Amino acid sequence: MLQDYRNPWLYRGMWVYLLLLVGALLLPVFYTIYISFNEHGFGAQIYDFTWDWYRVMLGNTQIIDSLRWTLGLGAATVAIAVPMGLIAAKHYKRTRHKLVLVTLMLAPLFVPADILGSALLVYFKNLNRACNWLADTLGLEWIRTWFELGFGTALVGQVLWTVPYAFIVILITMSRYHAQQTEAARSCGATGWQAFWRVEFPQIRVGVASASAFVFILSFNEYTRTNLLKGGFDTFTTVLISHMFNTGMSEDSYAMAGTVSVISMLVVGGVLVWSLARVERLEREARAAATPLGSA
Amino acid sequence: MGGVPVAAGSWRRRVFGEEGLVRYVFLLPAAFMVLCFAVPVGLTLVWSVFKRTQFWMEPGLTLFAYETFFTSARAENFAYAMVHAAIAVVVSFLLGFPIAVFVRRRVPVSIQHRVILLFILPFMISELIRVFALRPVLARHGLVNEFLLQLGVIDEPISAILFTPLGVIIGDVMSFLPFMVFSGFLAMEAVQRYVFEVCDDLGAGALHTFKDVILPLAAPGIFAGSVFIFVNGLGVGLIPNILGGPGAVNAGSIVFESIVALDFPLAMAISAIMIVTLVALLWIGHWLFDLTRVLEPIS
Repeated sequence: MLQDYRNPWLYRGMWVYLLLLVGALLLPVFYTIYISFNEHGFGAQIYDFTWDWYRVMLGNTQIIDSLRWTLGLGAATVAIAVPMGLIAAKHYKRTRHKLVLVTLMLAPLFVPADILGSALLVYFKNLNRACNWLADTLGLEWIRTWFELGFGTALVGQVLWTVPYAFIVILITMSRYHAQQTEAARSCGATGWQAFWRVEFPQIRVGVASASAFVFILSFNEYTRTNLLKGGFDTFTTVLISHMFNTGMSEDSYAMAGTVSVISMLVVGGVLVWSLARVERLEREARAAATPLGSA
Repeated sequence: MGGVPVAAGSWRRRVFGEEGLVRYVFLLPAAFMVLCFAVPVGLTLVWSVFKRTQFWMEPGLTLFAYETFFTSARAENFAYAMVHAAIAVVVSFLLGFPIAVFVRRRVPVSIQHRVILLFILPFMISELIRVFALRPVLARHGLVNEFLLQLGVIDEPISAILFTPLGVIIGDVMSFLPFMVFSGFLAMEAVQRYVFEVCDDLGAGALHTFKDVILPLAAPGIFAGSVFIFVNGLGVGLIPNILGGPGAVNAGSIVFESIVALDFPLAMAISAIMIVTLVALLWIGHWLFDLTRVLEPIS
């Protein structure tokens, strides 16, 4: 282990600082979870453990309904954003216009949620008016509802929000792939698709899987864009926010916040542990394969 | 799914072959980003000069929305929000950047990425939840105050940390700090480790190394992280809504309120101001530091 021998205390101090900072960033979340299990809620002097607030939450049909929409939206976002990120990353490797592509793919990260959400809202409202006009004047009834606010428009907002992450995660994994393997496969007679699917894809699968998990979590947690673009239905986070602003922070909002955080942590933690374990295993196998004959 | 067998002259070749239609699939993501991102974002400039009607807007050329913005308290609030966002950038840099440098310089290469990944965890929990969760932490009878009271550091709860500008800055830092760590680390990754050894061997002091070696090399990453934090601090309306107390706003919440009030041109004008600010910042940054350097490790 590399250490700063000239100043071991500074080295240790930095580690402590780093872990404290991560802890401080996570502290509010854990504190919320802690409160959500207190029968007396926030600010009470006594702490009695209870599942009641979660029971209240699960008994609320509006919340359960919203959970269904959230999961549906999350699945649809993964199904679109991840392949899109993969295709864009493949394109990035071969195109001459790298700067244009990377700017386009990453730009949504830099536009704050309220701004992008409002721009999309006005855009879709305009498109919707145009479609209505076309439906009225030309009788094209089937296009009337294309851009009505609803699942589709919320999905566009979510894909725009998540695709930069999918793109970056997959691109980072791809940077470890050696393109000579594709060339080798092609010169052995594989088609472009075969070379991709049988040679490259198995090696970037981890990236695609983590991108899927991250996209799902980001979609699950998204509020502002969804709220602006969703039309009639509600997701878990929009219900939570309307609870918070309308009824103050009641105990079951703590339970909802706890649920969202725990699900996020489980998915992200699971992916991290899984991918680290995989790296560990690959390294072990590589070391075993590299052991010279007779030396073991 | 297996490979697609390609017979000469078949329709499959025309679709799936080397020169077939399938190559246009690669253009789909870019096309989607243009149609659903670049076009609506660019059109905010056009919509911002439209005339407001009772429930919507109609084509026109008027600067009324901009006039409304600049002659009301909104412009002043916007300026305050900019100051708060800038403070959040500085605080995030001071807290987060040393971590990026430390991890790159002192932590064994094999675990560097894992250490940086630690910062993914807080980032992946909904921003909404993390901001919301700061309320019970910072409140009058919240965690921080109770803890300080127990320690005897303070005699009565501090009320300046929630529902104040300070609360907003704390919220910004807690929400966006990981970005400074990520982009700082990404920029530091382009710096070879021997550079630090050379500095040590030549006897350069810590301050000297930082000012003359680390800072210039990591500048693109620091800039990218700073722009991200600044723009989001200015644009994420939830943070002042939840932590800022009555009257606290930023660009994001003003836009949202204008939408709710059905003043679409005003919302679009403020969005346009934000977009122009963002593009200008990124352009200046690219001109000064060549931001593509941030992406070098992955391309």
